Amino acid sequence: MGAKGGRAFEGLEKAALVAGAGLLLGACSGPQSALDPAGREAAEVARLFWVMLAGAAIIWLAVIGTAVFAGRFQKTPLGERAGLRIVLWAGAIIPTLILAALLTFGLRLMPVLRAGEPALTVHVSGEQYWWRVTYRTAQGEVETANELRLPAGRPAEILLDSADVIHSFWIPALAGKLDMIPGRTNRLVLNPERTGTYRGVCAEFCGRAHAFMAFSVEVMEPAAFEAWLARERAPAAATADAGAFLANGCGGCHSVRGTPATGTIGPDLTHVAARPTLGAGLLANTPANRRRFVSETEKLKPGVRMPAFGALESDQLDAIDAYLGSLR
Amino acid sequence: MSAVEPRTETDDARMRREEAELRAAWETPRGWRHFSACNNQTVGLWYTGASFFFFLFAGVLALIIRAQLAVPGNDLVSPGTYNQLFTLHGTMMMFLFAVPIFEAVAILILPQMLAARDLPFPRLSAFGFWCFLIGGVFVGGSILFNAAPDSGWFMYPPLATDTEQTGIGADIWLLGLSFIEIASIAAAVELIVGVLKCRPPGMRINLMPLYAWYVLIVGGMILFAFPPLIAGDILFEMQRLFDWPFFDAARGGDPVLWQHLFWIFGHPEVYIIFLPSIALLAMIVPTFARRPILGYGWIVLAAVGTGFLSFGLWAHHMFTIGLPWLSLGFFSAASEAVAIPTGVQIFVFVATLLAGRAIFSIPMLFATGALAIFVFGGLTGVMVALAPFDWQAHDSYFIVAHLHYTLIGGMFFPLIAGLYYFYPFVVGRMLSARLGRWSFWLMFAGFNIAFLPMHITGLRGMPRRVYTYPEGLGWDWLNLVSTVGAFTMAAGVLVMVWDALRPGKPRAPRNPWNAGTLEWVAGDPSEPWGIRSVPPIRSRYPLWDQPNLIREIDEGKFYLPGAPEGKRETLITDVLDATPLQVLRVPGNSFKPLIAAVLIGGSFIATTFHWWLLAIASGALGIAAIMVWLWTGTAAIPEKPERGAGLGVTLPLYASGPASVGWWAMFITMVGDGTAFISLVFAYFYYWTIHPAFPPAGMAPPDGALMLGGGAAALAAWAAMLGARRANGGGHAGRVRLLIGAAALLSVAGAALLLLAPWQAGLDPVAHVYPATVWVLVLWTALHLGVGVLMQGYCLAGALAGRLTARHDIDLRNVVLYGHFAFLTVATTLAVLVLAPRAT
Amino acid sequence: MLFRRETPNLWTLLTPPAVWALHFLFCYVAGAIICAKAPEALGELRLAIAAATGLALVIIAAAGAQAVRHWGFGSDAPPHNQPTDEDQKHFLAFATLLLAGLSAVAVLFGALPALFIAECGA
Repeated sequence: MGAKGGRAFEGLEKAALVAGAGLLLGACSGPQSALDPAGREAAEVARLFWVMLAGAAIIWLAVIGTAVFAGRFQKTPLGERAGLRIVLWAGAIIPTLILAALLTFGLRLMPVLRAGEPALTVHVSGEQYWWRVTYRTAQGEVETANELRLPAGRPAEILLDSADVIHSFWIPALAGKLDMIPGRTNRLVLNPERTGTYRGVCAEFCGRAHAFMAFSVEVMEPAAFEAWLARERAPAAATADAGAFLANGCGGCHSVRGTPATGTIGPDLTHVAARPTLGAGLLANTPANRRRFVSETEKLKPGVRMPAFGALESDQLDAIDAYLGSLR
Repeated sequence: MSAVEPRTETDDARMRREEAELRAAWETPRGWRHFSACNNQTVGLWYTGASFFFFLFAGVLALIIRAQLAVPGNDLVSPGTYNQLFTLHGTMMMFLFAVPIFEAVAILILPQMLAARDLPFPRLSAFGFWCFLIGGVFVGGSILFNAAPDSGWFMYPPLATDTEQTGIGADIWLLGLSFIEIASIAAAVELIVGVLKCRPPGMRINLMPLYAWYVLIVGGMILFAFPPLIAGDILFEMQRLFDWPFFDAARGGDPVLWQHLFWIFGHPEVYIIFLPSIALLAMIVPTFARRPILGYGWIVLAAVGTGFLSFGLWAHHMFTIGLPWLSLGFFSAASEAVAIPTGVQIFVFVATLLAGRAIFSIPMLFATGALAIFVFGGLTGVMVALAPFDWQAHDSYFIVAHLHYTLIGGMFFPLIAGLYYFYPFVVGRMLSARLGRWSFWLMFAGFNIAFLPMHITGLRGMPRRVYTYPEGLGWDWLNLVSTVGAFTMAAGVLVMVWDALRPGKPRAPRNPWNAGTLEWVAGDPSEPWGIRSVPPIRSRYPLWDQPNLIREIDEGKFYLPGAPEGKRETLITDVLDATPLQVLRVPGNSFKPLIAAVLIGGSFIATTFHWWLLAIASGALGIAAIMVWLWTGTAAIPEKPERGAGLGVTLPLYASGPASVGWWAMFITMVGDGTAFISLVFAYFYYWTIHPAFPPAGMAPPDGALMLGGGAAALAAWAAMLGARRANGGGHAGRVRLLIGAAALLSVAGAALLLLAPWQAGLDPVAHVYPATVWVLVLWTALHLGVGVLMQGYCLAGALAGRLTARHDIDLRNVVLYGHFAFLTVATTLAVLVLAPRAT
Repeated sequence: MLFRRETPNLWTLLTPPAVWALHFLFCYVAGAIICAKAPEALGELRLAIAAATGLALVIIAAAGAQAVRHWGFGSDAPPHNQPTDEDQKHFLAFATLLLAGLSAVAVLFGALPALFIAECGA
């Protein structure tokens, strides 16, 4: 059926595809990219995507090529019977077979992806608009916030729930997302493989500051992870004075273990200075940003629950900043 | 008709007289009375214009969204505004454009395609349109007052049920859209009955235009898809207004139930949008391939198959909520299976083109563009149907890209193809081919530039519904490109709008595309009668296969050539083989549907603002207005039993029971009503599965004796109505009145007993989801008995006024039919509330 | 009513997809209840789904066989576009046969999860 016109057309498309693919490969990397995987599930799914993409490209070219040919270039009409054969084979039978194969593959993949005997259990609770992270270890619970550190090569069980509205826990580089729903606990098994720093994010719209609900993910060598966990378990070892922090009521919402600050409304700050980010992935954790976040909270993160303390005297802010900076 | 005329009348004189009669009967009112028009052609035009206006409005919202996202860290709009923008963009595109434009276009072209003077319920169409307009302006206009809904078009609780975090916008969404859903169901009733009963004689089921097949399927889908959302809206609004904890996990509720109800509506809705647009292609492709569609039966397979399968996909919007893998598998399987009929659909078009001698045209340009975009969206759809891939793609920009590829390719481009195709028939002018090409290429290029990069943006981790994003994650230039594309596409839309509105376009010849179907019989669009005379049909493409058809139609050679009694009339035919059965008198222009819509709409709007007295007063007046409308406009007893319909056929003017269109309308409405009820029952059993015991320990089910007493009274009421119907058939007028009166009293007693039962058991609906669910089921049931009482009162009044006779019993038979469904509702409620707690 | 009919109608046309709908509903509801209330009974559930699948396929096959009979055993190829009782019947029968094919495939697709997934998971 007029292969000449069709072939010329496909040639053009092929060139475009090659160019597009080159662009695509260059555009896949990033700390939050599902196509730059660092965990088993993400790697499997990325591979699945590339295979499906190649198949989809072939099908698209064939269908649209035929349609354009039929509408613009063909000269001799096809007979009724031949036309019906096209409907039967190209429209029904071949798609059925492809879909059956794909479905079978997908179904078999599902239980495998999230299997694994977990060596570690972490409970993550989504709260407007941050993450309460609790490591459940044999020596008791260790609470931190807005960062997740995992040992490479060891399956980790993540238990997910929510304190207020629905959130969704997504670390594209490691695995797909799973929702955090009030009244339920969802279980996700992560298999991190490649060490590095990644970024996780809330994927379910959760209110005004939904755009600012991220967290950092660090996949570490197991030994380094154990050392970190041990440091994290220890109470605060502040070298600066807690006076201003406590006097301005920060302890009403935040905990600093080993001090009178025992609030549970906001993130635990026991080792806040050792975390990579502030405000749930909002800012790099530098002294200047710490001070800005305390004084311009609402401006930096509209919708945040914490009130801004910009009205405080400068020396009070300095003292709070110094204290927070010493919580390593 | 002509039998009584003097034989000396010449053909010319006859034609002039008939035309004058028809013009007088079908005249569209002028001036401010124009808005009293109740004619599907006029209403369809308003409907199309209004929904297209909402499309442009929602499109502007999208442009603001894209402007905000053009660069990282942008602060063009605040997060609060942004949340209103994306919520309203989705809400308006879905509820105020995509679904209504289907109803609008169908109301506009279906009568012509079926050579029907009108569809059977023009006033219902007008009522639906006014409901749609009022609700649409209310929902859309809210953003001008910074009061728009802001928790996403899917309105997930507990965010959207939280009255502190979401303001009046959520109530506007729930009540405004519930109101619009009434309009959708009204349109579905009109269209289903229209396709089944208003075809021209001889247009058998195997000769129906494919568009009519799609309309029939989609009408059926609306009946099963919208009611679950209405049920969900009821639960949702009960929580927002009265704190009944349906979605509050702390009191036994579950936010996930809303997701089920929303998506049981939401996924079929995608196909409710898609199928009618594909239906336009099914009309366009044969015309330009210059041959009949190849694979008519296959299209029917595809439409019916898609209609069914689309109800097995809803949970693929919920793949990440932590469903059991097995459940994911079932929905994954159905999601893959639905691609099969879609593939068939596409290849029928391709094969038709291959087997024809295609002419190129602007509608075909848009059709080809539609195919290119839609097939791409379908292929990514096959990808996300696999749960493991969806875990990554879900709620990311990949999905934004996917859904726009399916909707723009599956709905918008075909619709624009239809616009270019049908514009001459509706307006009588030709659109410019040159501007059409400009418009197409701007839209096509703009669309792909905007949405193709979003696949990558999403897989690189950008979640949906964020009002801004940090730089350096690889999303910056991708977003900028998308924004450029969006504005390019908008330029294409502007070109098209300019072309459609500009004056001075050339007049269209009759049937400018040389199409084969009946809508192209239409000549001058200013003639209001629809079709001059209703022809007998012998082909799928009568204008191609039946020689001289247009001329003979114009000469009034066929059925119903005039309107000798000055009444509006249309032909009713048999469902399968379209033999003529009845000449139906359809009501004329009236302000009553408009008044009823304003009053009912006022009730919904007042409820939003918690103005309870006004809401109740407005609602009561609205119901009264509907009663007056029905009393004065329906089931009129004709002055003679039958009339000559032309071509030597004499047909009755009155039919009741299953032979009447009103009975079918009641049946179809009650199927939808029953679906809403089943959704509430589903809610009960849903809670039963998630609770170890339901009713939970320490809570008693409603009093069994009272419930059974209520059921017995309802049973007696039902029996009394059956008795009344039988007595009426026997001509016992006194007994009829007695039995109807008794049925009304028994219904009141039944409703009272049913309401007393949970009251007696001390069930507090605020305390826990169990009592709340019991109350909602009981209230629903009692409400249905109450509506039954109104209907019984209406029949009684009819009997007293002499409108109800042994032969003229439409109202009574329709009310008995309602009674079957109402009693079924009572029986089911009893089974659920009395038996289920004792069985487990 | 739906079977052993002389002529097809819209209800016989809708029979095969309606069987799919019932099969789907059964699989989903039974799966949801078992995974919520008695995950240990998953083995029995998979057997029940297998049985339901067999039953559904038998009914669809019966509807398809009736459609073949109404179609005159394929003696009259499409397009079935004449204004006759014959073509009306053949059209409805042919469309029913196609729907039976699609419904059978969809039922089989719907049974695959029970074949491959042996745990409730999550």
